[in-house]
Amino acid sequence: MTTKMTYYPGCSSEASGAHLDKSLQSIARTLGIELEPIEDWNCCGASVNHIKGGHAPTTAMSARNLAQAKAQGNQDVVTPCAACFLNTHYANEAMREDKQVYEEMNEALGAAGRSYDASLNVRHICEVLINDVGLDKIRESVKKPLKGLKVAGWVGCQTVRPHAATERGGNFDEYDNPRFLDDFIEAAGAEAVDFKARTNCCGGSVAVMSPDKTIHLMRDILQEAQERGVDCIATPCPLCQTNLEMYQGAINDKYGTHFDIPVVFYSQLLAVAFGGDPDGDAALNQNIIKAPKIAQVAK
Amino acid sequence: MTTTSPQATRKYDLGFARWVYENVDGGDRLALCMQCGTCSGSCPVGTQMDYGPRKLFMMIRAGMKDAVLSSNTLWNCVSCYNCVVRCPRQVPVTYILHDLAVVAVREGYKEAVESDNARFSAAFNFSAERYGRTDERIVTGKFYFSEGLSAGFKKGMDNMKIAWNMVKTKRMPLGLPHKIKGKGELKTILDKAREIEERHKGGGKGN
Repeated sequence: MTTKMTYYPGCSSEASGAHLDKSLQSIARTLGIELEPIEDWNCCGASVNHIKGGHAPTTAMSARNLAQAKAQGNQDVVTPCAACFLNTHYANEAMREDKQVYEEMNEALGAAGRSYDASLNVRHICEVLINDVGLDKIRESVKKPLKGLKVAGWVGCQTVRPHAATERGGNFDEYDNPRFLDDFIEAAGAEAVDFKARTNCCGGSVAVMSPDKTIHLMRDILQEAQERGVDCIATPCPLCQTNLEMYQGAINDKYGTHFDIPVVFYSQLLAVAFGGDPDGDAALNQNIIKAPKIAQVAK
Repeated sequence: MTTTSPQATRKYDLGFARWVYENVDGGDRLALCMQCGTCSGSCPVGTQMDYGPRKLFMMIRAGMKDAVLSSNTLWNCVSCYNCVVRCPRQVPVTYILHDLAVVAVREGYKEAVESDNARFSAAFNFSAERYGRTDERIVTGKFYFSEGLSAGFKKGMDNMKIAWNMVKTKRMPLGLPHKIKGKGELKTILDKAREIEERHKGGGKGN
């Protein structure tokens, strides 16, 4: 059975997070989720647009996407990107709960002949995998278990905070000690180590603009992963993945460390475990730090 | 959010606090802050802020507008939302810091205008509004050169290796920027949203 959902891939899907999009599309096919993109979707504003763009216009960016999603039907909107989820979910809930926001957003949309009745659900794809698909189905879909692979499940921030334990956020996990990522890792047949830094922050967009402010946060995450002897770190967040991968050289230069730890998406692990092609499905060729041990399983 | 907040007229002036309560997203809950410090203690970069969120909120109440809006607290927040989920009084700390950052830049505080965050946001917003998509090449390029030509070239050279790695792994496209078809429509919607935001000037809960 196939479930159709409206898909918001987000800007990183066309660049730094292309391998998240590709591997997710692959596992969605296996799990029977049809992802129909929001037609002509625009940027959500991430964590930075508001400073220049202002609060209401930033909310309006999401409102346009939601209006188009609604025009495509009543199915839930899903996104794999932490920031896209945060902003789109926020705009949707603000319109649902606050009459003034609802009216103002519809006034803005109305200027372009659009409207949105705030009737959709905006969900993170990980929540959908836990609540709708279920771990049993994920386990049953595994053809090539990632035996012997030690993985640090690094959730990061915005995938769970501040919505994972709310009713509208799907109540799919807790904030301080989330389990879902370890569950994915273990469902794929790998070993999830007890990773204390699982919800540590890499600095997000601040790491991109001012790496000096947060490079020590990334070092701490890598340090624990190394001490636990993992083969790779797995994360659901596109910015977490890019930051922790691209800054390892700078971290080694600054601290005299020798980190060379692959950072992959949970969806890449699952794509391999589901028997997919290491590059065509799991996009392992798009990681800067290669993970040969994962590719080995896929062969 | 309105664009101008009142200046303090005496040492302890509630005017600024009241303005924040009414005009900043989540500000209505700020009055419930009981100064427990869970936010500052939960902050991964709290120790490098001029003031942690707890102290900043007390300063808002004390009417210390200039110190609040020129503090680096606003430019260190990494939007991790630890403070939001842990606050025992459900004060949406991150949301409040985000809106205060907008106020600080709009009111022209030097530390705010010159912050990396304000320059990065301008570069991001340029791409997001002009093309409807964030093109990482445009954002980083514009941001690097926002401090001047030589600083831009230096930053560009420093990050050459990262950029090359991204190109090699097909995570940095080489063609024209991605753009949406409805660029005109997006502009119409955002211009109207700006006009709506302007209407809040002088009172009423902003959005």
